[in-house]
Amino acid sequence: MDKIYNDFTINVATANGTGSQSSNLIILHSMFEMGVPVSGKNLFPSNISGLPTWFIIRASDKGYQAPGDDTNIQIIMNKDTWEKDLGALEPGTIVIYNEDAKLPVERDDCICLGMPMTTMARGISPKMARLMANMYYVGGIAHLLGIEEGAISSAVEQQFRGKENAIAMNLQAISEARSYASENWGDVCKFAVAAREKSNDTFLIEGNEAVALGCIYGGINMLSWYPITPSSSLAESIINWIPQLREDDDGGSTCAVVQAEDELAAAGMVLGAGWAGGRGMTCTSGPGISLMSEFIGLFYFAEVPGVIWDINRTGPSTGLPTRTQQGDLSMCYEASHGDTQHIVLIPGTVDECFEFGWRAFDYAERFQTLVFGFGDLDLGMNRWSTAGFEYPSEKMDRGKVIRTQEQMDAIPDFGRYRDVDGDGIAYRTLPGSGLAPILYRGTGHDEDGIYSEDPQVYHQAMQRLKRKIDGSRDVLPAPVIREEDAGDVGIIFYGSMENSIVEIDDMLEERGMSVSTCRVRALPYHSEVEGFIERHDRVVVMEINRDGQLHGILRKELPKHLLSKLYSVAYSDGLPPKAREYADRVAEVLED
Amino acid sequence: MVKLNVLNLEKSEYKGGKSSLCPGCGHDQISNVIIQAAWENGIKPEGIAKMSGIGCSSKTPAYFLAKSHGFNTVHGRMPSVTTGANMINKDLAFIAVSGDGDTASIGIGQFIHAIRRNLDMVYIIENNGVYGLTKGQYSATVEKGSKKKKGTPNEQSPIDLCAMAVNLGCTFVARSFSGSKKQLTALLRAAMSHRGMAIIDVISPCVTFANNDESYRSYNYVKSNDEILHIVDYIPHFSPLSEVEVPEGEFSDISLFDGSTLRLETVSEDHDPGDAVAALRAIHEATQEGRHVTGLLYYNPDQPTATDTLGLSETPLMGLSDEEMRPSVESLHKVNAGFRAR
Repeated sequence: MDKIYNDFTINVATANGTGSQSSNLIILHSMFEMGVPVSGKNLFPSNISGLPTWFIIRASDKGYQAPGDDTNIQIIMNKDTWEKDLGALEPGTIVIYNEDAKLPVERDDCICLGMPMTTMARGISPKMARLMANMYYVGGIAHLLGIEEGAISSAVEQQFRGKENAIAMNLQAISEARSYASENWGDVCKFAVAAREKSNDTFLIEGNEAVALGCIYGGINMLSWYPITPSSSLAESIINWIPQLREDDDGGSTCAVVQAEDELAAAGMVLGAGWAGGRGMTCTSGPGISLMSEFIGLFYFAEVPGVIWDINRTGPSTGLPTRTQQGDLSMCYEASHGDTQHIVLIPGTVDECFEFGWRAFDYAERFQTLVFGFGDLDLGMNRWSTAGFEYPSEKMDRGKVIRTQEQMDAIPDFGRYRDVDGDGIAYRTLPGSGLAPILYRGTGHDEDGIYSEDPQVYHQAMQRLKRKIDGSRDVLPAPVIREEDAGDVGIIFYGSMENSIVEIDDMLEERGMSVSTCRVRALPYHSEVEGFIERHDRVVVMEINRDGQLHGILRKELPKHLLSKLYSVAYSDGLPPKAREYADRVAEVLED
Repeated sequence: MVKLNVLNLEKSEYKGGKSSLCPGCGHDQISNVIIQAAWENGIKPEGIAKMSGIGCSSKTPAYFLAKSHGFNTVHGRMPSVTTGANMINKDLAFIAVSGDGDTASIGIGQFIHAIRRNLDMVYIIENNGVYGLTKGQYSATVEKGSKKKKGTPNEQSPIDLCAMAVNLGCTFVARSFSGSKKQLTALLRAAMSHRGMAIIDVISPCVTFANNDESYRSYNYVKSNDEILHIVDYIPHFSPLSEVEVPEGEFSDISLFDGSTLRLETVSEDHDPGDAVAALRAIHEATQEGRHVTGLLYYNPDQPTATDTLGLSETPLMGLSDEEMRPSVESLHKVNAGFRAR
């Protein structure tokens, strides 16, 4: 049979809490081990055990990382979704199912391949049969796609590291399944894996862990956090790395960790840490940002450095707590009452997760303000490839902090909020120093930090804050621009959409469009974003939300003559962006 | 001759700006006691951090200790800001002022959790039973049946912050009255010498909205219904006990963290501040009889503080060098290699 190599999508339908995650990661890692460009996405429920969960594995020599638009191989293990999973398939799909489910598989137009998985698993361990059954579809897939045995062993060893018994049992299960499939199914699958040259440097890592490491190398001094999906693994990862990376010679930790009573307290602790001269950070998701908003205004107005990572999930309200979205962008940018504006860093890759992890603290201290890291569930909780993290290229920027009387004497006419350098950033002193002490406050204050309700004092203070944040534009990460020579259409996008953009771009080029792309990596947006829009006739702002939040921000801030060029494609259903859904919509808005 | 403290500082070094509270406000008396206690204890003004939330009471850090940094934060959330600052600089002496609205309503969660962590701070509640800045609404600490100047009597059960603190294991719990300068000064000096969370609930009459005789928190009512547990006297570590004149009658001494002593002279009954049950009984019995019990209610020294339990670096974290905060290049190579080997 003619094979299609490294270009297919597998969908695994199981129930939460059945151990299927191990099986799915073994498939993913064994393919990665062979050098197959592969990505995995876990679509899981807000539940510990029993509700349906799907895992999507995409192999693509073109490097496409979006979930494929169609499923090529469907594994069905979950009785509850059995009929629906089967019903959704295109004719010709390969279906692997557990015969022991004793449910009908009435899809004569598909290639249906059964295996008595639970019965076979019982032969290895009667007690563990329910969990072990999942390992049999790994063997089935390995046979169909031709995944090398060495790659499978390596992935199993990685998954069950150090647990010799588990490694042996699972390898046996996979091997039995492979033999069964070979004898009973034969050569029916047109999809296959082909080994590719793999750099020994690359590995897969979740975005949240990459941010955590970035924070560790950014000198984080205090982590306060309140558990919330999908950000908890970020905090837990920092906690895991502290003993190895952040202990002094006497074994004392250089980063305090406080599990807060709620998100309000978590934000308050970051504020206290920044005020006292430390690098404080918390991580949360949309509901947490809503709760933190009062403090966020205090950061802005009292000019205290701090970092909050928002790992977006689907809102509003509790929303779809285990699904992804870019729905918090405008909230982060303008969080809290009154006029505010916050720096937002938006990584699109795990390498940027690490880099922005450490840079966030430098920006926060340099601009004496709150800095948001903006991730999402897709980037944060799924595994992505990196060639290894690069050590911070710049020294820590601790900002304008006066630590000695001599430094103080060198500043003419010092006042905590006096703009002596003309960049909107004033000098600050730390509690405990005895240098120019003031009572920090969220109430109106003059240049010396003294309470004031004077209209001119207030107006000027707010204008300076605007100027200060505006001054960060071209200091923050510039957009990543991929520009075609004859590009009449430009696409502006951000964050985890990076994983779908190549495929969307290819789809649009197939339709005869010449497309350039510009990935925004920070707010307030860089001047190069404006330049990109200038150079294109029509610019589509593409994002994973309903209302086109970046589109709205751009419309508000861009010069008038550029506004007529802007189009919005905003779509969100909770799932990671599928390429065709966005490509179709881009084509549609441009045709109108 | 000008009097100096052990640091050779005049009391004026501990003063603050001019108060903008109502003339005669109990809070201003408390500010004066804070100035007095910090000066007498010889604490470096620059080593103090003044913390507060929002409300009449929380404005007062502007009126004392002008040489200390401070933070007038948001309503009810002062404990979390103090927690963060304490993590970064555990050498700061945190003196916090809050009110009954700030602590017992909007901020009750943070109050509780600061106690659970045994945050190393002095937490003064200036408790008048009303929301003053918004013009006289009842707060959650006001007694059932108590009546402010205008409106109907309060019908809801009060929250007794001292009883709550004892229940939660707070390591230093005291109650006093803004009009009892001597007792409040001794208790505050002891609280400043305590390592861990020290709460002083200070009944402080609101002269504008609730200083009428139907209010259980008016000056006259408290003055005539104050059940004093013991007469307290504070003996600093720099004046040895042997030099202190021993008062007549029964007394017991309590040793504080910095070597100073709180001397309790028994008045009515022999209250043991180490006994949480006795503390709760004293509070509840007084409440039943419509009285306020004052003095050191509960004391439990030598408990680990919030930073003790975290195993932090000896150096306060704000004093770390860049090298101590950012791990080496080699360590990152190791991290990368570790992932590749997985």
